[in-house]
Amino acid sequence: MYVIVVYDVDVKRVAKVHRFLRTHLHWRQNSVFEGEVSRAQLYEIKRTLEGLIDGEDSVLIYELPNDSFNLHVIGVDKSPVGDVI
Amino acid sequence: MKRPVYITQMGVLERRGNTLFLENENGKKAIPINSTSEIHCFKPVSLTSGAMKLLSEKNVPAHFYNKYGYYRGSYMPIEGQISGTVVIKQAKHYLDPEKRLYIAEQFLEGIKASMVALLKSQRADYKSIAEIEVEGTTPVELMGIESQLWREFYGIYATLLKHFEFNERNRRPPRDEVNALISLGNSVLYTVTLSEIRKTYLHPAVSFLHEPLERRYSLALDIADIFKPITVFRVILRLVNRRQIREEHFERDVGVMLNREGLKTFLSELNGELGKKILHPRLKRKTSVRYLIRLEGYSLVRHFLGDREYRSLRAWW
Repeated sequence: MYVIVVYDVDVKRVAKVHRFLRTHLHWRQNSVFEGEVSRAQLYEIKRTLEGLIDGEDSVLIYELPNDSFNLHVIGVDKSPVGDVI
Repeated sequence: MKRPVYITQMGVLERRGNTLFLENENGKKAIPINSTSEIHCFKPVSLTSGAMKLLSEKNVPAHFYNKYGYYRGSYMPIEGQISGTVVIKQAKHYLDPEKRLYIAEQFLEGIKASMVALLKSQRADYKSIAEIEVEGTTPVELMGIESQLWREFYGIYATLLKHFEFNERNRRPPRDEVNALISLGNSVLYTVTLSEIRKTYLHPAVSFLHEPLERRYSLALDIADIFKPITVFRVILRLVNRRQIREEHFERDVGVMLNREGLKTFLSELNGELGKKILHPRLKRKTSVRYLIRLEGYSLVRHFLGDREYRSLRAWW
């Protein structure tokens, strides 16, 4: 499945969340990651994030059936996602 | 599903806090290691020892190609799937001439079926290929039939290409555009097949159609051949006829090679084709072409163990 992860966490924990997410997903822009994951991976991501966040922190995970959605970019595409780099 | 990563720029692969980074003058790019199946490097890429450690931990091989797209070698993590029983049975089937011939013939039938499937989808005349009898008493004879199949196939294939000349297959180095594309595509398919074989219990060097020689994994050559017409050749045809790959995407010295932009176009299309999902009639679910390669491996294992007779893939799409 394809997921988009959006987070809004306290500045103390931003780096931690970022560092963890980039081992599984592609960085899209500040506080946004996306990529293809397996069910087990998604479970691991959820569990680890639960341990990382605290207080008023909020993380949203959008689960999509596949990567055939339309993306409209306005302004700069900071980090295009692709398998060929 | 984990995805492969194709690197088309020079750089250094480094480990920084459990993430793999490709670094060069354009900046840093993080590679999500947990979602990566393997890494293909088409330009000079250095690995730091930290990166190698991370690749080993996560079981991700890194494959290297030279500027003409020929496979140069891999950094592979320790073999994960080992079974002495299967390797011994596999070798037994190689040593028994009759058993070896059966498997080699199956491979040939698979190649032929794929060629026919591709030509059919292009509404080309496939009769001359369908007529070639796949029968022989020795592997050498079968190799002869294989080259006959390919010769016939190249002939028809050349008439389907609307924009480039393709008169003969040449290599080391390829001397025209189409040969450059075929060489590159075949190398990628070979390494992908190798990566898939390593996920099964098979030994990649014990082959049946090709003679098992030193210094190469000839079983990967055997299995990759079945998939060549329906992946590599299909993608080349599409890219050339749609003018997505044009003269300006090539460079020339002793041989012909793709430049970075051409490489990117070709690799993402080939990768898409390998990831394309088709409905599997027996499994009753959609499987990627890449997974079909592994399924060939699994059927071979079952054949060696005497569970079910091996029947190679007959491409139906």
